[in-house]
Amino acid sequence: MTAALLLASVLSQAYYTPAEAQAVFGQANDAYYKEDYAAAQQGFQKLLDHGYGGSDVLYNLGTLYLAKGRLGEAVLYLERARRAGRAADVEGNLAMAKAKQLDQVVGAAAEEPFLQRVVAATSEPFFSWAFLVLWVGAFAGFGLFLVLRPGRRGWALAAGALALFAALGAGSVSAVHYTVATTVTEAVVLAPELKAREFPKDSGKVSFEVHAGLKVRLLETAGPFVRIRLPNGLEGWTEKDGVAAL
Amino acid sequence: MTRTGDRRAWAALALAVAAAPASALADVEFYQTVDRTEVGTDDTFRVTVVVSEAPEGSQVQFPASNDFEQLSRSQSTQMSYSLGGGGSGVIQRVQKWVLVLRANRAGNLTLPPAVLVTPNHTYKTEALKLTVKPGRVSDPNAARAQRPPNPFQGFPGFGFPEDTDEPRAGMPEPEIPRSDSDLFLKAYLDKEELYVGEQATLSLYVFSRLDLSSVDALTMPKLEGFWSEDLDSPSQLVGEQRLVGGVPYRAFLLKRRVLFPVRAGALTVQPAEAEITTGFLFAGRRLHRKGNAVEVKVKPLPPGGPANATSVGRWRLSEEVSQTQVNLGEPITVKVALEGQGNLKTVVLPPLTAPPALKVYDPTTTDKATSSRGVMGGRRLQEYLVMPQQTGTFTVPGLVFDYFDSETGRYESSRTDPFSVTVLPGANGVSATASGPRFPAALEDPAQKNKLELTGLRPLRYQARFQSPEVPLWTRPFFLPVAAGAPAAFLGALLLGMARTALTTEDAAKKKRKQARAARARLAAAEKLKAAGRPDQFYGEVEKALLGFLDAKLGQPVAGLTRDRLMEVMAAAGVSEDRRRSIAAALEVCEMGRYAPGGGNAARGQALDQAAAAMEGWDAR
Repeated sequence: MTAALLLASVLSQAYYTPAEAQAVFGQANDAYYKEDYAAAQQGFQKLLDHGYGGSDVLYNLGTLYLAKGRLGEAVLYLERARRAGRAADVEGNLAMAKAKQLDQVVGAAAEEPFLQRVVAATSEPFFSWAFLVLWVGAFAGFGLFLVLRPGRRGWALAAGALALFAALGAGSVSAVHYTVATTVTEAVVLAPELKAREFPKDSGKVSFEVHAGLKVRLLETAGPFVRIRLPNGLEGWTEKDGVAAL
Repeated sequence: MTRTGDRRAWAALALAVAAAPASALADVEFYQTVDRTEVGTDDTFRVTVVVSEAPEGSQVQFPASNDFEQLSRSQSTQMSYSLGGGGSGVIQRVQKWVLVLRANRAGNLTLPPAVLVTPNHTYKTEALKLTVKPGRVSDPNAARAQRPPNPFQGFPGFGFPEDTDEPRAGMPEPEIPRSDSDLFLKAYLDKEELYVGEQATLSLYVFSRLDLSSVDALTMPKLEGFWSEDLDSPSQLVGEQRLVGGVPYRAFLLKRRVLFPVRAGALTVQPAEAEITTGFLFAGRRLHRKGNAVEVKVKPLPPGGPANATSVGRWRLSEEVSQTQVNLGEPITVKVALEGQGNLKTVVLPPLTAPPALKVYDPTTTDKATSSRGVMGGRRLQEYLVMPQQTGTFTVPGLVFDYFDSETGRYESSRTDPFSVTVLPGANGVSATASGPRFPAALEDPAQKNKLELTGLRPLRYQARFQSPEVPLWTRPFFLPVAAGAPAAFLGALLLGMARTALTTEDAAKKKRKQARAARARLAAAEKLKAAGRPDQFYGEVEKALLGFLDAKLGQPVAGLTRDRLMEVMAAAGVSEDRRRSIAAALEVCEMGRYAPGGGNAARGQALDQAAAAMEGWDAR
């Protein structure tokens, strides 16, 4: 199974040469400026489907959806672009999309929770790699201390201790990423209008309605329903198809 | 029914024949006929009673039955004059009554005979048998009843142009109500099936056989499910002659409204009500009448159309720009007009959009509604004021108005072309700068500033750096083995070192013991040399045995050390002073023995004993 996935991944990467991928990207951009949004969307989506993602493609696709007035998809891809790398243009268009969003979540905290802010402000690959390298380095230093003759091995112990200390710091940040990734699933409402019910049934009483572009947390699923939580704690069951995980 | 002459012409002829001799009159002829023998309960039929040569003072009693309702009766008289064989003329007078009847129930019914009562005799016609079925039965005479072309149409004095059996176009012949048949309200809708948003016209008539004086109060129904507007509300009652089921009525239009259904489904227009005054002056009578409900089927717009195509009708969009080249700070006027047929009040024009460099203000809207032949429409004009904010050439995109054409059954679009606007710095800008003033007026006028504002969407990124979707490092297969492997390897190395140290320590003790055993063995070998007569070898072996023993016990080679150094090493190793002296003495004896071998066996035995005592008592030191 893993081998098959790996093979599929390799094949999908090989779908375009870098030059071809860049050409598809350019054609999609041209289509956008000619207001042929369908062709532009198809181009960007093709790149994503074949593994040619990244902040640039995600940002352009999000901006395209924003120009088309598809607020849900716009917020989805701009948020994904933001996760791939923060930039002023992403923040600008995301702010514009959120300004057009219909829902006002009353009582929501002005800022995101601390852990999510840590995740947003730090790079998971950097800290995870830093942790791994420092961790291994620390124990390598300790190992050297064992091997070297007495009187010539003090530096190894000091370097190992220093690396261990730094590894624990990087590891803490990495652990925050892990915690948020495994416990917090964020999503964006795609449907123009989505009813949140008290129970995961079509006959459930409608508690409130949310609209395209609203960012929510996914808590649990039950059949075709998913329980969402708004930033102010409001919760309800809604159709799974109406939201897309970030 | 068709009349064959003018009433006045017939009256003149009747006066002429009244002066003719009575002897010229012929015998009485009396009969009745019916135009059809199979009718429905909702149909009307005509019974014609004819009497020829009725004497003066005769009376006709028309057939009466509870099974039939007489809706109308008309009379005509025909006189003919012919020359007889004796040269005298014969005048024949024929009177004809046409009764319009309707059956009150279904079944095989009999219409009683008509009776003619003359001063001398009573005549009866034959009864008529009719088969009456519920509802309506097609009229076999309908085709024949169509009026032939009248060659005298339009000539004064000929025909009855106001009498027509044909219903007015778009207005089906109404059904005469069983009660209040002399005066009733009737509502018509010109379409039975239409699309949401398509126009239908509701007409409300009052049909009357009475003298209508006025309609005092008219209550129109609530038109739920419709957007409506008055099309025609006559201020005066103007009637027109109508034959309904052969019965002459005068029809008066009370109201005509246009309806635009706003939802699909079977919709019903509820009955209207009116207070009507009949008769004149003191003979006037006020009557209340309630009309009929009208049902209409409203279809939703076909699927697959543009999302904003909610208007139905026929529309044309146009755009007019006041100028395409302006100075900064000067406004442009853009007029967007939509005209055509449909519900003007509900159309929504596409908004004018422009680049951020052109600020578009809210438009002023002017509507001019029109109706042509009962079809509503008009022109909506939106006038935008556009103020340039930046210099340059900017393109304002064209507008598209999508609508559904109910006549063709297709979605259509009306478009305008995009246009470009060139904005120049302004007359007071560049030229004024060139002419010398340090701060030209244009630069002080905020309206003429080239405003560079961060608005609108940020542009797309021109080039891409492609990345595969990032997978967290901790999900990669090598992460856990590497992270756990590092401390595990360290621990392993630590344990290995400890084990190795432990093993190494064990070997040294063994070696010491081995060396000690070897030393003792060497001492035992030296004992054999004691009696061999070679004292130097004997003492050499004893010394080697002692030094080997000390090597093993002290853990370091002691051969070559001076006596003092050896004493220090032993002292450092914790060897007691007695032992040190004992060993030193034994070594001294061996050294003297090797270089001055004068002693006998006793001396050698003593040296052997001293060395053995030093070695044996070592562990007990």
